[in-house]
Amino acid sequence: MRPLPHHRRRLSREAIVGLSLASAYLVFAAIFWAYPFFWLARLSVTQWRFFDEPVFTGARNFVRTIQDPQFLVSLWNVVRFLAFYLPLAFGGALLVAFGLRHVRRGKAFVALCFLLSNVSSGVALSLVFTKIFSSTGPLNTLIHDWTGARIPWTSHPTLAMLAIALVVAWKFVGYYGLILYSGLLTIPAEIYDAARLDHAGPLTRLARITLPMLNAQLMMVLVFAILVSFGLFTEPFLITGGGPSDSTVTPQMMIYETAFRRLQPSHAATMSIIVSLVSYLLIVLARRLFEKKVTLA
Amino acid sequence: MERRDLLRLGVGGAALLAGCAPQSRERRSDVIRLWVAPNDAEEGFWKVAVARWNALRRGLPVTFTTIPTAGSSEDTVLSALVAGTEPDLCTNIFSGFAVQLAALKQVVDLAALPGFAELVARRRMEAIVPGWTQGGRVCALPIYSSPTLIWWRADLLEANGLSHPPRTYDEVYQFSARYGRPGRRYGMQVVAGRDWRDRWFDFISFYYAVSGGLPYLDGAHALYDNRAGLEAATFMDRMFRRGWTAPDFDAEEPLVSGLAAGAVRGPWDVERFARIYPQTLARIAVGPMIAREAATANSGGGPTSTFSDSKGVVIFRSSRVTRQAFDFLAWVLGDEALNLLWLRRTGLSPARSDLLTNPRFAEYYRTNPLVRTYAEHVASARPPALSEYTIDIQKIMSSRLVEPLMTGQATPADALARAVGDTDRMLAAQA
Repeated sequence: MRPLPHHRRRLSREAIVGLSLASAYLVFAAIFWAYPFFWLARLSVTQWRFFDEPVFTGARNFVRTIQDPQFLVSLWNVVRFLAFYLPLAFGGALLVAFGLRHVRRGKAFVALCFLLSNVSSGVALSLVFTKIFSSTGPLNTLIHDWTGARIPWTSHPTLAMLAIALVVAWKFVGYYGLILYSGLLTIPAEIYDAARLDHAGPLTRLARITLPMLNAQLMMVLVFAILVSFGLFTEPFLITGGGPSDSTVTPQMMIYETAFRRLQPSHAATMSIIVSLVSYLLIVLARRLFEKKVTLA
Repeated sequence: MERRDLLRLGVGGAALLAGCAPQSRERRSDVIRLWVAPNDAEEGFWKVAVARWNALRRGLPVTFTTIPTAGSSEDTVLSALVAGTEPDLCTNIFSGFAVQLAALKQVVDLAALPGFAELVARRRMEAIVPGWTQGGRVCALPIYSSPTLIWWRADLLEANGLSHPPRTYDEVYQFSARYGRPGRRYGMQVVAGRDWRDRWFDFISFYYAVSGGLPYLDGAHALYDNRAGLEAATFMDRMFRRGWTAPDFDAEEPLVSGLAAGAVRGPWDVERFARIYPQTLARIAVGPMIAREAATANSGGGPTSTFSDSKGVVIFRSSRVTRQAFDFLAWVLGDEALNLLWLRRTGLSPARSDLLTNPRFAEYYRTNPLVRTYAEHVASARPPALSEYTIDIQKIMSSRLVEPLMTGQATPADALARAVGDTDRMLAAQA
């Protein structure tokens, strides 16, 4: 084999500059992503309690985790949360997007207002909603004055999950709405004009034109919503504490409490890997079921 | 790129990595490092105590700082232990966490240190230390004991024909029937909250009161599925079924508006109310933890048993100055003048059983009747069960006992049986 010419083996000045600049990110990723990731993988197949040396235990943590009824309940709670959250998130986001289309003046200000809830502190808004949803709070006092009844927002298993979904939806609907609004702007007006000529009504135009043309943005919102549901911590932790009867306990709460309250980091590491896998599989499934390639012929 | 530039880049990267390297685990042996609870009152006490110790030159000098926490002390202590930056001594440790630290072999058995028995005798802790002893080992020493008692709005009691705070379930029922308006105002706040810690301030307090201080846990078995547990659970159930209490009082402090006329409160609330709700505090009458009449009589006429929210101090095993640290601890805790200073600064009763008989404390309690009521219960207040699994035990107590009683999904007997059964199964699985 003929050796490469000398000048081919040496990196160019641009390549060295490029590598140097990229190395900052590579070092960052190695320290804050790769190292924790491998440590997590190692923990999941060992027994470790913070101060001793990890002892290899094979699949014992996985078996223990998938047999842990409270962990399984927390995964089921994600499904229950999504059942409330998805309609609220999509319905609210579509309303925001369609509403923004009709705003003539101050559109940027209105959009900023929707984003404010998204950048608000989860802790602060959870404390506010805790008071609002209290059985003796202002919302229940109002309902009691009108109907003579009180709604057990945080002490009934189903209503407690609905309350959490409402709070999280309030936080994210504006953000999702802006994503959908950006999609609406890309739909050519000529398509709607042609549809009107064919006597297509508003619902037909929504179902046959708007929603299919928004598929990419809707999928993006769906993926974000699934990620939010698996990452849920602050709101249930502060508003319901996971109750009543573990009906709002989430995988993130389980992981936190197992690692830092029960002092079982190996068990928690296994949980986090399983949660990652389940969320990934759910996203793949959602994309397979709902993602469409839409092109203008 | 020049070789010099590459060298600079390499040096810069190395410096960055060096900054991320773990701190040295080298322990100092010429100073005692102390962490104290992050609040002004306790910090003020330790500032004086440490200054006096250092001025006396009785041993190694002490440096102290508040626990560097933004969240819970437990998380911070744990992080410090993992990073190797823990001090020699740390206060603000609750007994369950101390047991966890002992199980992880991170704290010293204080009972094995020379001078421990003398300290217990000098501080009159003979009746208190058994509650912090597990298998003959004492992994934390209580600094203060805060019994839970029930605050009542005296004006509301009087307006409804009661001249003193209720002592029995029947008195609470009768008062609630007169005062309560379902959905509008309630006899008393029965459930303290949703967190696992809140069980200390409702069911466990009620259980201790009605059982005369019997334990609710023995090793790997829950013990509260008994007559006392049933009475406490039946009381909670009846209050909810009659609409004399609400599932939560998150929206406001119920005693201020009279939304509830009574609620379980600790001595730390005296300072809070004095600062925020002074007018309400002036109308508060403190009563004992309620129990059935027979149980109150069974206590021999003395104070009713209740729960004690105590915090203790530990010495970490990594310390190279264990003996010297304990000498400092024995000096602080055994000194009556410093105990009085603690009381004045924090309003929390030192964990000693002679508070009301020792003339040194008499003047303080004469001028602080609310705090005195708490001091009267220090000897009869019981700490939480010593268990590494405190959180799981009390989470089960929440989900299987208190919440079903709140919603009416289970009878008191069924809820008790489920809670105890689940606790035993959890403890067996952990074992």
